[in-house]
Amino acid sequence: MKNFYRRMLEFGLTFFLAISINFFLPRLMPGDPLKLIAGSAAPQLGKERVDALRAQYGLDKPLPEQYLIYLKQLARGDLGMSFRYSGGRTVVEVLSENFRWTLLIVSISLILALFIGSALGIWSAGRRGDSLDLGMLSSIYVLRSIPPFWIAMLLIPILAIQLHIFPVGDSYSIPRLEGWENVKDITRHAIMPVIVLTLAYIPTAFSIMRAAMFGIMESDYIRTARAKGVKNIWVVLRHGLRNALLPVLTSFMVDLGQMLGGVTVIEAVFNYRGIGNMMFEAVKSRDYPLLQGGFLLFTITILVLNILTELIYPYLDPRLRRSAI
Amino acid sequence: MTTQAASPPRLFSTLRSLRLQSSRRYLIRLSSWIGMIALTFLLVLAIFPNLIAPYNSTERVALPLQKPSRENVLGTNDLGQDLCSELIAGTRASLFTGLIVSFLSVLFGTLVGLISGYLGGWADSFLMRFTDLILVLPFLPLVILLSVYLGPSQRNVIIVLSLFFWAGPARLIRAQVLHLREDTYIEAARALGANSLQIMTDHLWSGVRPLVLAQIVLVASASILAESSLSFLGLGDPSGKSWGTMLYFARASGAFLSDAWKWWVLPTGLMITLTVLSLGLIGYSLEQRISNSVS
Repeated sequence: MKNFYRRMLEFGLTFFLAISINFFLPRLMPGDPLKLIAGSAAPQLGKERVDALRAQYGLDKPLPEQYLIYLKQLARGDLGMSFRYSGGRTVVEVLSENFRWTLLIVSISLILALFIGSALGIWSAGRRGDSLDLGMLSSIYVLRSIPPFWIAMLLIPILAIQLHIFPVGDSYSIPRLEGWENVKDITRHAIMPVIVLTLAYIPTAFSIMRAAMFGIMESDYIRTARAKGVKNIWVVLRHGLRNALLPVLTSFMVDLGQMLGGVTVIEAVFNYRGIGNMMFEAVKSRDYPLLQGGFLLFTITILVLNILTELIYPYLDPRLRRSAI
Repeated sequence: MTTQAASPPRLFSTLRSLRLQSSRRYLIRLSSWIGMIALTFLLVLAIFPNLIAPYNSTERVALPLQKPSRENVLGTNDLGQDLCSELIAGTRASLFTGLIVSFLSVLFGTLVGLISGYLGGWADSFLMRFTDLILVLPFLPLVILLSVYLGPSQRNVIIVLSLFFWAGPARLIRAQVLHLREDTYIEAARALGANSLQIMTDHLWSGVRPLVLAQIVLVASASILAESSLSFLGLGDPSGKSWGTMLYFARASGAFLSDAWKWWVLPTGLMITLTVLSLGLIGYSLEQRISNSVS
């Protein structure tokens, strides 16, 4: 339990670091922060209007006070206005509109990759060192070296343009379809991004699982289980995998920051309506508040997933359960 | 077969582990050879691009968006530059960026790892908490955010990537130092009156050197991959000839909506894969040799 609180404190610190990065980056960059915070339109405005903007963003106040104001706004869920929409839309609005699509493809791909990668890893670990294991290891190494966005750039001309199997661009057809047709439409749009993301995530899942199973399959209780005459598949699943789950989950969480962020490029290639593609568009229009919002949302997602994992641990490891009581 | 079946189980398992070891050694040797040959090829392209490339990659030599022909083996890009020459020129940009990022970040990572592992105490916990923070943050979104503030250029890509790639090596090197500092030769050095600085720079450094070398190669491989993503998003130097930038322009001019993907997108990605893979294979074999010599 003490460990749990320590981890929570660490997650809190990470969150604090992320919001501080968002605050200090535009203010520490060379040049007028107003331009970075209020957009490139600022110089064309008159002196009065610029001063008004400066006051509105609190840029005329000393830095610590600005920081406090920023924290207060954040606590109210105010991430500022996006530059791109002339009608004026808040960053939170744009984020919440796009987030579900990213969540959809990332969660499906993560689950698929965990299953496929882990299964391959277990299979490979069981035949450690023979030609099939080494062949598998080499293929995974090649897969790890391929830029995922390049796979995406090859799938589009082959599967979408020439074979017309999947639609290209966006996450649903416009105009939107009704009911069951809509579900099918969304699925068809999601398949190619999911394929690419799954391929991108598999090497991580594979390597972690293979390494964890190696250590465990050499231990004494596995030998005991075999000596008792337990069938091989049950030795692997019930005795091996059961004990590998905890270290696998821990290592997986360490790589999560690296993996989740990768969706940005993939969505950009497919023009898929999600946080990643939104950030790509925001890069083009130098929409700083939106970029900051996207970064913060990714950080929060990673932290939430980490906290959920911390909560699952006691169910996976009976020793933790006992110490919790 | 009959002798094996009749032999005691211990001999049986020894034979099995010997066979496994030899096939693993074979794989390690094979991967280091493939990696070395591929890297040599790439280095030749990077050092002598002008001798090998048919054209100057920055000159317009034909009409834009041409199909492959006798004059332009891989066709031309949207500006009428020879794609094959561009591909060769890209080797230098990509390898250079990857190696610089890797040197900077492994240098910093080694410093952090050495100090953290050897000093221990509050310095260790402070440095490692900080390292963990860096590792948890979503890598690509933060890198995109930073690059946008700094502006698109090759130098800024190098700075931004180096800011994050030190964390992994720092953790590994710290773990190795924790292992080494209990060793008798460190104790002996301390007994002979060596101070912390001498122990870190002389004795511990020689212990972590092989690991540092492996890390340089592996981080270079990872940063070439990351650089290509950043340049593909349009955050690299738009006039620079890196492979990621080539793919950025391929996408911008709709190369994969026509047949152009076959000679524009396909070879470029293959070059990235080849480079990342060759460095990865060398790094893998270096890493495996270290773990062999430790065990």
